[in-house]
Amino acid sequence: MFSELFLPVLMVIFMLVIGGYAVAVLDRLVASALGTPQAGRVWLAPMSRGAWLLTQHANATEAPDWRAWRLAPALYLALAASGLAVVPWSASLVATDLVTSVVLWGSVEALATVVIFLHGWSANSLLALIGGYRYVALGLSYILISMFVLIGVALPAESLQFTQVVASQEGLWNVIRQPLGLPLFLIVGLGMTFWGPLNLADSTDLAGGTASEISGPPRLVWDMARAGMLVAFSGVAATVFLGGWLGPWLPGPVWMSLKMLAVLSVLLLLGRLLPRLAPERCVTLMWVVLLPLSFIDLVWAGIGALL
Amino acid sequence: MESMNHGLGVDIAFLLLATLAVVTGWRVFRTDSMVRASFFLLVSFIAVGVIMILLAAEYLGVAMFFMMAVEMTVMALFMVMFMMNPAGLNPMNMVHQERIAIGAGVAGFLVLGAMALLATFPDQPVPASLDPVRSLGNEMLGDSMLIFESAGLVLLTTMIGVVVLSSHRGRYGAAAEGSMPPGLEPGGDPAGKPEEDEEGEGGHHHHHHHH
Repeated sequence: MFSELFLPVLMVIFMLVIGGYAVAVLDRLVASALGTPQAGRVWLAPMSRGAWLLTQHANATEAPDWRAWRLAPALYLALAASGLAVVPWSASLVATDLVTSVVLWGSVEALATVVIFLHGWSANSLLALIGGYRYVALGLSYILISMFVLIGVALPAESLQFTQVVASQEGLWNVIRQPLGLPLFLIVGLGMTFWGPLNLADSTDLAGGTASEISGPPRLVWDMARAGMLVAFSGVAATVFLGGWLGPWLPGPVWMSLKMLAVLSVLLLLGRLLPRLAPERCVTLMWVVLLPLSFIDLVWAGIGALL
Repeated sequence: MESMNHGLGVDIAFLLLATLAVVTGWRVFRTDSMVRASFFLLVSFIAVGVIMILLAAEYLGVAMFFMMAVEMTVMALFMVMFMMNPAGLNPMNMVHQERIAIGAGVAGFLVLGAMALLATFPDQPVPASLDPVRSLGNEMLGDSMLIFESAGLVLLTTMIGVVVLSSHRGRYGAAAEGSMPPGLEPGGDPAGKPEEDEEGEGGHHHHHHHH
């Protein structure tokens, strides 16, 4: 009972905490390497910001939907946790080895749309609402692209299970077998966590968007949830494209952590290097360029599976 | 997944999820906003999806999550758009035609309840070797492939058609080009249309744009 129920939960919480902290530190390191001076020490700054947020007053707007508004950050964190729960660290070390874990990750992406919209909607404030609507319009295209890319990696594995997807990469990693997959999936990741160039839901042109009205502990939970989702996303990307735990000499979980850190660093670097897109142009880019590319990726994967 | 001897945990989970599904389903009609109603319905569906996973329908249960998530979001937004209720935050009654609805609800409850109590359900435990995901895939893409593929193609064509019809921009310019909104009163001026430049009497700058 203990090992079945509590160990996986502890494992996911541990990954959320360590991963969220890693995102905050890495992002500060990337920023200072690119010439943006960071206040305070890189290693301590995330914790002091977290402690400061905890002591701050939680803002209230006029007649918000209180339950939805307070629940949305927690639900987004829960979705990040669900995503991390299906990421395998080795053939046996995985919190939940669901046979439909690839589909579960797709559901996490779809439910994230609901939660982000709810976060913007329930504040009863203009800019937050615009951020929420924006995310729905964009989120649908992210989900579609991600779905086609993920069906592509499920084809050679002949399974919807992440552990099987990793096992199918024993000979050749999917990043080489399906060259379009990882770049497309990284774009989906930036979109889903609305990070860097695709931060359109919480962007500065909306004074913070869906998060424009939150402060104090809810803001801390929201920031942790976004970081956690980025970690879960890099875990899935490392699993389906970079061979997960596969690798010589080192034990599986170490390889997995290294690959996750690599994906995370690339995402954070992209987040700092690329300028933010205009939402309308972003929708056009998604539907006219990236979605057809994901079709090509799927056809490529299908032909590869047939040969 | 346990095949026959499920533990106490599964029973407790079933009871909690069933309660959640019923309570949120009831809240759909008692809340006062279409956005809230949609997402209460989503919670109800998610609870049912988890129950399906408990019943070893692992693909259908998880598929319920993402299908309903997208469906309810789109539904909520479309209802808000059509109902002219700013953002769905204004209080609004969620029920109408109450007598018929109550009658239909009671009748449905009695029929389904009678079926649950009186029918004899087959007792066929799922064999431990059965892979539900694989057998579902064989069913959908084996013998029934023609049906599913035709239905899928029809749905896709419908979706593309709707997007084309509702799009503001088209190959020949704006979709509303030359269309005239109806007047607020019979024979009155078109509603919500700015006055033409040519009709303005003096004092106006005349802008001529080429579209």
